[in-house]
Amino acid sequence: MGIFKNGFSKKGLWLLLSTCAFPIHVWTLVMFFRDFSWISERTNTWDAIGVGSYGLMIAFIESLFVFTIALGLSLLLPQKWSEDKRISIVGAAVLLIAFWAIAGQLYFLMEIHFPSRIIQFAARNSHPLWVIYGAVLVAVGSTIALAGYMLIKSENVQENTLALFERLSTLSALYIFLDFCGLLVVVIRNL
Amino acid sequence: MSELINRRDFLKLAGLLGIHATLPQFKLFYPKSNSISEGPSSDNPNILIIVFDAWSAYHLSINGYPRETMPNLAELGKKAVIFHNHYSAGNFTTPGTASLLTGVLPWSHQAISFNDVLRDEYLHQNIFSAFGDYHRIAYSHNFLVNTLLTQLSGEIDDYIPREELFLERDRLIELLFSTDEDIATVSWVRALKKGGDHFSYSLFLSEIYEKLKSLQFNEIRANFPLGIPSINVDNYYLLENGIDYLQNLFMDATSPFLGYFHFLPPHEPYNTRNEFSGRFAEDKYFPAKKPPHLFSQGQKSSNQKKWRTLYDEFILYADAEFARLYHFLDQSGFLENTWVILTSDHGELFERGIIGHLTPVLYEPVIRIPLLIFEPGRTESLHIYEKTSGIDILPTLLKVTGRDIPVWVEGEVLPPYNGGNEMDNERLIFSLQARGTDKNDPITKATVALIDGDYKLIYYFGYDELGDGNEMIELFNIKVDPEELNDLSSNQFEIAQSLLVKIKTKLDDVNRPYY
Repeated sequence: MGIFKNGFSKKGLWLLLSTCAFPIHVWTLVMFFRDFSWISERTNTWDAIGVGSYGLMIAFIESLFVFTIALGLSLLLPQKWSEDKRISIVGAAVLLIAFWAIAGQLYFLMEIHFPSRIIQFAARNSHPLWVIYGAVLVAVGSTIALAGYMLIKSENVQENTLALFERLSTLSALYIFLDFCGLLVVVIRNL
Repeated sequence: MSELINRRDFLKLAGLLGIHATLPQFKLFYPKSNSISEGPSSDNPNILIIVFDAWSAYHLSINGYPRETMPNLAELGKKAVIFHNHYSAGNFTTPGTASLLTGVLPWSHQAISFNDVLRDEYLHQNIFSAFGDYHRIAYSHNFLVNTLLTQLSGEIDDYIPREELFLERDRLIELLFSTDEDIATVSWVRALKKGGDHFSYSLFLSEIYEKLKSLQFNEIRANFPLGIPSINVDNYYLLENGIDYLQNLFMDATSPFLGYFHFLPPHEPYNTRNEFSGRFAEDKYFPAKKPPHLFSQGQKSSNQKKWRTLYDEFILYADAEFARLYHFLDQSGFLENTWVILTSDHGELFERGIIGHLTPVLYEPVIRIPLLIFEPGRTESLHIYEKTSGIDILPTLLKVTGRDIPVWVEGEVLPPYNGGNEMDNERLIFSLQARGTDKNDPITKATVALIDGDYKLIYYFGYDELGDGNEMIELFNIKVDPEELNDLSSNQFEIAQSLLVKIKTKLDDVNRPYY
């Protein structure tokens, strides 16, 4: 029961949820706008809006999922830390992981190719896949570790991070409103 | 057949073996009626129509294709009527299948857009209604066909849901979004399934979904090096299950029956079985070089070559499984009273910068399709070179079963079943691509192919790419130039204009009610 003693305030919960929702919805909308024209051409515009609506519903579910994980992770942080500090660290971790997830998809979307020297280096190894996974883990882990360190050590960085989250929360509120519009569209389409 | 085992016991044993092989993979669906077959009569034979989706006649070794894509069919064809110049009415599933099922051209049934439905009058003017005294069974892997079959379900006694022959079912979509299944499925695929593209709407759930899916079906996956065949990324299916189902059908269905079975191979993804993978990878076959078309997708020739090879290897899979079905029917005696029609709904293209069939063009590989008829008692092959159409199958089946051909049918009875009469020399073969045309609108943007004797005119109109005038024609002599390399529209202007007048006259008739 002790771990719930220092739970988040409503504002803190909203800030964390909106931070989780932001990159998920941005990517969903980017991908949807990319698909809009071919889906409209395939059948019609209403169907294209339908695809976007289902996509936003899934984005909302995914946001809740990530928020739940983030909330769980925040409980692992020292409870003596202030709410602001815990939110800024967990929120930053979520944003960075989302950034790397987007980068991973962009790698395929934009058909980027690693320089052949890097491919050859991995191929020379007896477990090339482990080399790649290891490199990814180092890249992702180090950015999160660095961000975490800076947030712990510097109040300034922490304040600026929270200010960023508050700005993002406005957009996230719009996205979540769109999610409910999407839900309405899905209900209408299934009547 | 051994004297120690009678026909009934043989069939039971063969059926049990089929069930045993497939039970771990799917729940077997039996037709609702449980009558044990008394056997069809010669007046009312069973009719089995098998459609292999996106199967191009251009890629058939029995049509002269350099690759041996159908070694089994080449052998089985020695007891079939083989139609070498058979054309689909459209270049994708909806119009091609709708024309086969109704015996009329796309502008009549008006199922011409993607996932379109028939005009209401064809709910009771189709192959199922024409054989109302038969037990009618239908199945399709392809959801576009299911849209049509759902519309005609009032005339189908056993309409098998397509998910019954999947390795697993997307029960969530069926349960929650059955009214909007098409778009819900598209959204599910785009949002959660990265597939070969490696990107999706979802950042995190898609990863978890992929990991869970990759743990399933490991044993089956070992047999398919490119992945288990699927529809919409992970609706996995095995053609083997479809063929096993057909074997059981013969044992248990009420006879006589009319069965329409539409299987996905060789439609992409071209995930062939292990023993066929790589069969053509190192061969010396190089297709004729053709310049990129106005409607090119920008596909490089190396890409076209690669995908053509995978497609040809996927055809080998369909060939092997059809042979398995044929041998079962032959050994069990069912062929004595069953007409087997083997055909396709449209072809596939790997040239001119284009891969696939969702394209404005109507070149031979995408509209010339296989048709083989295995009729009871035939022991020698017969090769038909007259131009025929998918709309001819319905009147032919009516004729061979002694039924009158309704006036609404536009197709003709195929030789040799037309009493030895030559097909009408004036007959025109049409194929139409008008995706995007609404049922309530005239056709203003489309491609029409007209085959008249040795000549083929392709007429494009309404496309933005055509610029001012919005029209373009291509004329080929497909007898001397089957690869359609030499456009004769300038050199043989009079012939081109004569065919163009025929097309425009037809279009005027079709569009008149809208003006």
